[in-house]
Amino acid sequence: MDDYASSDDDYNYSDDQDSVGDVFANDDLDFPLVSSKGSTTQVITKESLLAAQREDLRRVMDMLSVREQHARTLLIYHRWDVDRLFGVYVEKGKAFLFAEAGVSVDECRDSSSLAYDSVMCEICMDDVPIEEATRMDCGHCFCNSCWTEHFFVKINEGQSKRIRCMAHKCNSICDEAVVRTLLSRKYPDMAEKYERFLLESYIEDNKRVKWCPSTPHCGNAIRVEEDDLCEVECSCGEQFCFNCLEEAHSPCSCLMWELWVKKCRDESETVNWITVHTKPCPKCHKPVEKNGGCNLVSCICGQAFCWLCGGATGREHTWSSIAGHSCGRYKEQEKTAERAKRDLYRYMHYHNRYKAHTDSFKLESKLKEAIQGKISISEEKNSTTVTDYSWVNNGLSRLFRSRRVLSYSYAFAFYMFGDELFKEEMSEDQREIKQNLFEDQQQQLEGNVERLSKVLEEPFETFKDKKVMEIRMQILNLSTLIDNLCKTMYECIENDLLGSLNHGIHSIAPYKSRGIEKASELQVSWSNKANNTGVTAEVERPEESGCSSRKRARKEGLGGGFFDLNLPAEFLDRN
Amino acid sequence: MQASRARLFKEYKEVQREKTADPDIQLVCDDSNIFKWTALIKGPSETPYEGGVFQLAFSVPEQYPLQPPQVRFLTKIFHPNVHFKTGEICLDILKNAWSPAWTLQSVCRAIIALMAHPEPDSPLNCDSGNLLRSGDVRGYQSMARMYTRLAAMPKKG
Ligand SMILES: [Zn+2]
Ligand SMILES: [Zn+2]
Ligand SMILES: [Zn+2]
Ligand SMILES: [Zn+2]
Ligand SMILES: [Zn+2]
Ligand SMILES: [Zn+2]
Ligand SMILES: [Zn+2]
Repeated sequence: MDDYASSDDDYNYSDDQDSVGDVFANDDLDFPLVSSKGSTTQVITKESLLAAQREDLRRVMDMLSVREQHARTLLIYHRWDVDRLFGVYVEKGKAFLFAEAGVSVDECRDSSSLAYDSVMCEICMDDVPIEEATRMDCGHCFCNSCWTEHFFVKINEGQSKRIRCMAHKCNSICDEAVVRTLLSRKYPDMAEKYERFLLESYIEDNKRVKWCPSTPHCGNAIRVEEDDLCEVECSCGEQFCFNCLEEAHSPCSCLMWELWVKKCRDESETVNWITVHTKPCPKCHKPVEKNGGCNLVSCICGQAFCWLCGGATGREHTWSSIAGHSCGRYKEQEKTAERAKRDLYRYMHYHNRYKAHTDSFKLESKLKEAIQGKISISEEKNSTTVTDYSWVNNGLSRLFRSRRVLSYSYAFAFYMFGDELFKEEMSEDQREIKQNLFEDQQQQLEGNVERLSKVLEEPFETFKDKKVMEIRMQILNLSTLIDNLCKTMYECIENDLLGSLNHGIHSIAPYKSRGIEKASELQVSWSNKANNTGVTAEVERPEESGCSSRKRARKEGLGGGFFDLNLPAEFLDRN
Repeated sequence: MQASRARLFKEYKEVQREKTADPDIQLVCDDSNIFKWTALIKGPSETPYEGGVFQLAFSVPEQYPLQPPQVRFLTKIFHPNVHFKTGEICLDILKNAWSPAWTLQSVCRAIIALMAHPEPDSPLNCDSGNLLRSGDVRGYQSMARMYTRLAAMPKKG
């Protein structure tokens, strides 16, 4: 429970947080239920970056018996995909593999020119003493000062990861060691930058590794083992979709989510009136504020009504039977209604529900604190029957997770059953069948989530042991049920809905019962740190001069003049 | 800056020495600015440019020879890889395939080679590129020859 106290601040939502995309940003579930054991994602920190790439380098070095710099050149060319690299090696042979990537290991240097004590450099056209010229592995020899300027220009142009030889039509990549040595004599800053670019190539050029999208940037990168279609939590707490780097959004596909965020931004003016924080009572028409996570609200006049549809509900529409209400099922407007109006209503229907659940989530988030209070009180009672209260927290995290799923499921449904994406994919009948299937599941989930929310609001700290045990059973059962319903919904989406489409571009991150996976820290073994590679951590010095950031602009997080090794070099350069 | 000057000065001396060696190319450095050059090149024989003399303008960057010079035709020319209005040239060695081992003289040679062997697939002059691509070699040649006559031949009388 240590984590718990430290994350109390995570739920300070600002009230006007109407924009999509950040509502669940702090869905921080530091409950024991979440474990990072056996995770397939790893956090690469400043300290472990070198070790992370060394693993791959070593595999290539061992397999092909090459020096580290050649392994690096090969890996950069193949975007750090070791399997692809070996594939080329097996299929086309070593000579091809090397030539393609610009590696010259042919070190039988012709010593003819070494017999003279000066060489004519073809670039500056000067005769230079032999000790002031350098011959690359490819055999081309130019003077050191021309080489140095060439490296400088190339790094400035952002080509530092593959600096070619200066000779015409020579595809060979320059020797790292030469670049390093010559540059550091005249341009130590540039030499440093070169080291960083090489180091960061492992992140920038690697499809399995991406910078954590947090702002201000935490300095970490995340590596996934196999599937880049997953949702992950960085050690800094940032949760995101590894594929699109936006907030975790399953069961929406990345494209759906992108469209939805844009749509919500564009339409927010139009539908503002529907997303206000109050709803009129169906009986007395006074505005009623929702004051708990539950979607059954009641007015001071005594009238109960459903927050989702605003419809009056009778006695039977209590929390225990709310599962039976069917307002989640959107009734298409009359055929005569104008199309634009219908589209707007359709959007509003889904957005309304999407919003209702994100709002519930916000309110329920406040429950976390309240519940800790209740647990403390209960524990002080020193009951002999109920000694452990972890089930409350487990129930709460189940509630948060399923709220999240529920909320995104409306954005999913909006696109799945709308005309925008899949009009050509399904006939009207097919669509209706599928929509019914999906909405059945959605409603079951919705009903049970509401029930769980209600149960968790019970003042169990005031109850007798027997009643507490009943509550516990209810929470356990509901949690299991909800978990299964979520799983079924994801399976239905994957197999029956998206799976049957012709266009394979929509896929979703798999359902994780334990919530979004926390990436584990990459285990660093420092045994081979003192390697003679040259790419060591000896780069902790201020940076200057400028170029632009390709991957992801980060504006904050850059206070002092000392750079964080794990920030992209290009980014730092701009400051 | 110093390096580029030194190198250009060397090229200048080389050009003076080689003047007779390559009769197809005449490179001239601007009197007051060593970073501005012009060249006169002869249209290669057995091409529609034969008999024409074409003027090129060079603008050399300070990072030369690590970065390529900018070259364009001053004489109007009908060629798939030359922009008809601006004279801009599409040639890989002037862009990503540049190597510092190239000289202004060798760039001229590369341009002459390009005149003899157009690349209709990366055209700056779409009309010319289209003619060639559609296989209308005669159409292309007669247009190119006409412009050579109009723009690149010394006016008689
Ligand atoms: Zn070479
Ligand atoms: Zn030199
Ligand atoms: Zn992070
Ligand atoms: Zn995504
Ligand atoms: Zn009322
Ligand atoms: Zn309710
Ligand atoms: Zn309802």
